[in-house]
Amino acid sequence: MNALRPRWSRHLALIVFSLLMVYPIIWWLGASLKTAPEMNLPTIWPSTPIWENYSAGWDFSPSPHTFAHFYANTLLMEVGNVIGGVVTAAIVAFGFARLKFKFRGFWFSILLMTLMLPGQVTIVPQYILFNRFEFTDSYVPLILPHFFGGGAFFIFLLVQFIRGIPKDLDEAATIDGASVYGIFLRIIFPLIKPALVTVAIFTFIWSWDDFFSQVLYLSSVDKFTVGLALRMYIDQFEVQWGQMLAMALLSVLPSAVIFFLAQKHFVEGIATTGIKG
Amino acid sequence: MNTKVATTSTRRTLFRISRKSGESNLHGYLFISPWLIGFLLLTLWPIAQSFYLSFTDYSLLASPVWTGMDNYKRMFFDDADFVQSLKVTFTFVLVSVPLKLFFSLMVAQLLSKSMKGMSLYRTMVYFPSLIGGSIAVSILWRNMFGVDGYINKVLAVFGIEGRGWISDPDSALWTLILLNVWQFGSTMVIFLAGLKQIPQELYESASVDGAARWRKFYHITLPMLSPVMFFNLVLGVIGSFQMFTAALIVTRGGPMHATYTYALFLFEKAFKHFQMGYASALAWVLLLMVALITVLNFYVSRFWVFYETDGGGRK
Amino acid sequence: MKRIRFKGLGILSIALMVVLSACGGNNNNNKASESSAPASSSTPKASESASPSADAKPVELSIMWWGPDARHEATLKALDIYSQQHPGAKFKPEYLAWDAFWQKLPTLAASKSMTDVLQMDAAYIQEYVSKGLLEDLSDIDLTGLVDPAVVENLKIDGKLYGIPLSQNAQGVAFNKAELEAAGVDLPQKDWTWDQYFEWGKSAKAKLPEGKYAVNDTSNLWDWYQWYQTGNGGKPLMTDGGKTFNFDKDLFVKYHSALADLRAAKAVPPADQQTAFLENDPAGDPMASGVVMTRGATTGSVGALEQLMPGKVDVVNIPVGSAGGGWAQSTIFLSVSTHSKYKDQAKAFVEWFITDPQAGEALGLTRGIPINPEIYKALEPTLEQKDKLGKKVYDISVDKALPFYPIAAGYTEWVDTYKATMEGVMFGKTSIEDAYDKLNKLGQDIAAKTK
Repeated sequence: MNALRPRWSRHLALIVFSLLMVYPIIWWLGASLKTAPEMNLPTIWPSTPIWENYSAGWDFSPSPHTFAHFYANTLLMEVGNVIGGVVTAAIVAFGFARLKFKFRGFWFSILLMTLMLPGQVTIVPQYILFNRFEFTDSYVPLILPHFFGGGAFFIFLLVQFIRGIPKDLDEAATIDGASVYGIFLRIIFPLIKPALVTVAIFTFIWSWDDFFSQVLYLSSVDKFTVGLALRMYIDQFEVQWGQMLAMALLSVLPSAVIFFLAQKHFVEGIATTGIKG
Repeated sequence: MNTKVATTSTRRTLFRISRKSGESNLHGYLFISPWLIGFLLLTLWPIAQSFYLSFTDYSLLASPVWTGMDNYKRMFFDDADFVQSLKVTFTFVLVSVPLKLFFSLMVAQLLSKSMKGMSLYRTMVYFPSLIGGSIAVSILWRNMFGVDGYINKVLAVFGIEGRGWISDPDSALWTLILLNVWQFGSTMVIFLAGLKQIPQELYESASVDGAARWRKFYHITLPMLSPVMFFNLVLGVIGSFQMFTAALIVTRGGPMHATYTYALFLFEKAFKHFQMGYASALAWVLLLMVALITVLNFYVSRFWVFYETDGGGRK
Repeated sequence: MKRIRFKGLGILSIALMVVLSACGGNNNNNKASESSAPASSSTPKASESASPSADAKPVELSIMWWGPDARHEATLKALDIYSQQHPGAKFKPEYLAWDAFWQKLPTLAASKSMTDVLQMDAAYIQEYVSKGLLEDLSDIDLTGLVDPAVVENLKIDGKLYGIPLSQNAQGVAFNKAELEAAGVDLPQKDWTWDQYFEWGKSAKAKLPEGKYAVNDTSNLWDWYQWYQTGNGGKPLMTDGGKTFNFDKDLFVKYHSALADLRAAKAVPPADQQTAFLENDPAGDPMASGVVMTRGATTGSVGALEQLMPGKVDVVNIPVGSAGGGWAQSTIFLSVSTHSKYKDQAKAFVEWFITDPQAGEALGLTRGIPINPEIYKALEPTLEQKDKLGKKVYDISVDKALPFYPIAAGYTEWVDTYKATMEGVMFGKTSIEDAYDKLNKLGQDIAAKTK
């Protein structure tokens, strides 16, 4: 295909476009190396970069822990979220997309409805619920929901992808004597790999960002996530801008690395494995 | 390559087989049970609670007091902020959803090709979406669109006098729309995954037929991508109606409530003004509006969304 | 069926209604049963619930506060000292930043799991007291620790719900270095409102292009309240919010004066003014170098000084016939009514402002300590930022009026004031219309409070 041939014009367009997209991030890097009084100057790069913003920020003086501890906490939580989300969302989505059962339409409407009700009004009753079971100040309220289908967004996403897969494949397998479970495991699951990678990445990034639930459910500092620790820099009057910006920038890196490593799987989807139909 | 010509008979066979074993319902419920159990255990009660609370005066700090339809009456007859937040939200949804869809589809097309360095481009383009609702975004956006911001500096080169884009009631919402479109990465990634699911054979045989590139895009890419497009549309609408973080951290709803989105309005009622009862009523009205639009979306989708399962498609 | 249909939204709502009527009933019963349910944030034995005896057994107290990291470190140290002095006493501390604290606290209150001891702010204490969430601390003996007049002043309906921790006061910070460089006369203590507006104009004339002497404070409700009360008017919300006093003459006079400044271009244009964000290094009106003055308190001026080291000086809020500004404690320690260890909590709270060792550990992390003896011990260690804070207090205290907080139920009014007055700043609303709108809302809230 001609698209496989590298073209300079396309490279150029992509380079310009990418730089435009990341320009503000470059500004951010510069700002994270500035002193507070320097921050209102228009220059992007400080005269003398304050690398201490990174080292002091990392040490995180309000607690005996360093950011390493918070990264470990967050990653541990993320492992649970991603595994739970990917596996259960795929199972549920297969049920909705391929199987026929009573009240399927009804349950699917309910599923979508849970997306439409703003979380701000359910979070307090949910907190009361978890509190009654004494699950507060633990990761349970943060991880558990991911093991119940990972949320309507991902289920719906996978339903759409599964419905894009030709049914001939299921049919052929059925004739070969495969059960519903066989079809799911051996045919659908491998074919929606790009979509599953998407689910994994989004689960990772969005749980990383989900500040409001984290602030509600985690209260001891030794359980803090990166996001919670970051917010500690911004008090009513006093904000440690340099350290805050430095740590905020670092906190984006894991997601960026995960994205970088995972995105090649979009390319290897069905397109290269091909459908032997 | 005739994969997309799924016959109706094969579809029926599948269901007949499972029905014959009499396990269709059982299988179905078994597969959706992770979600169903979670829903009944963790979600149903809070949802029901919020519905009940929408008929009460509830400050969070004290027990709710039943007030009947008062919250709903107040909303429709006696709250200028409600009307303002609707105006802001509808503008936001109507502009940012199509813009983001179009933009992310174009970029996904560009980034779906296999090329040297593509991994890096993809990551760079996705980067703005990674920073999400980080507090750094608010500082960043104020630096871009403030009176002394970079946008005005660029404009000054062309002799145009800028203004405080982010703090002028006429333009503040537009900077938030721009921020939203700038963070188009998630939508784009879903398109990217969708593009990669389209069998290459379709394009190859079309090339043999000598089809032009835009014809391939129109006759193959668009129909094959339509389920994913539909997903992005439905979820884009639902998500945009709940737009909240940017309005909270970048503009705090101001100036003059020019960026007072519905979800921010609701949030302030719930957690700042101690009116969780009213906030719950607002949430249910939002649900009703979004549900109506979604039903409409599903209805219209019959005419443009193509599923393999349905057999056939746009030729 | 090939397509998942969106039927049943109607059925769904009916189904939900049925479920709900059951749930709704439950909810009303919660109140009675929950007061005896254990608070999950601590892990106490149920049998140990506090007895009225004064001699408090050591237990694990949960405690929550907000602040910057210096305060966190200092407070943790103080908690350690308490544990050493009272063997067996333990803490479950939780510390957050301001925003997170006030987002989380309502949820804790809703689930009846507020911590035993919690830091409180004058801006919110009325809301929490009015809902019966804070314990009456009137029986703690504060003689010799806190000036009795201060204690009297802090009482809500004759009872004390928070132990004051520090002195706070409201003043005006100004950029001394730049004003002097431009040859502008510096603001003097006890300047009147008329002098303030006049100074705003005359100083602007001497400043370089793009710099201003004063802010357009139209959208800040507290500035207007200082004007109204300073000129002999009543505070906006009295009787715990049952009465709303919104003086039309004073309102129009104040906002006309600001409109004059706008017309004379002596304040930043509205789109620049509304973009300011205090304490943001690039967005702060003063730290960014655009405006020469802004409001600052004992507690907040230190943060400003760090953004523009060596340039800041302070003066009091402009005064009227009745006085001006306020000087009072605004940070407290309170005890939750849901606490099972009220006696231990009270003992700890008293210790917190009494113990010299604690005082040394805490330093000035919550402002100027309320206990004169503790302050005396700390005085030699004051840094420039602390001295500025102290100066705000000293310069304001003789003319100061009481601190008039937002009454319960009025946060909505405060936010509406901001949005409405921004309409005036952008020239889209007239001062009279703004008055009518705000007065109606205020009167409505007052009527509801009865």
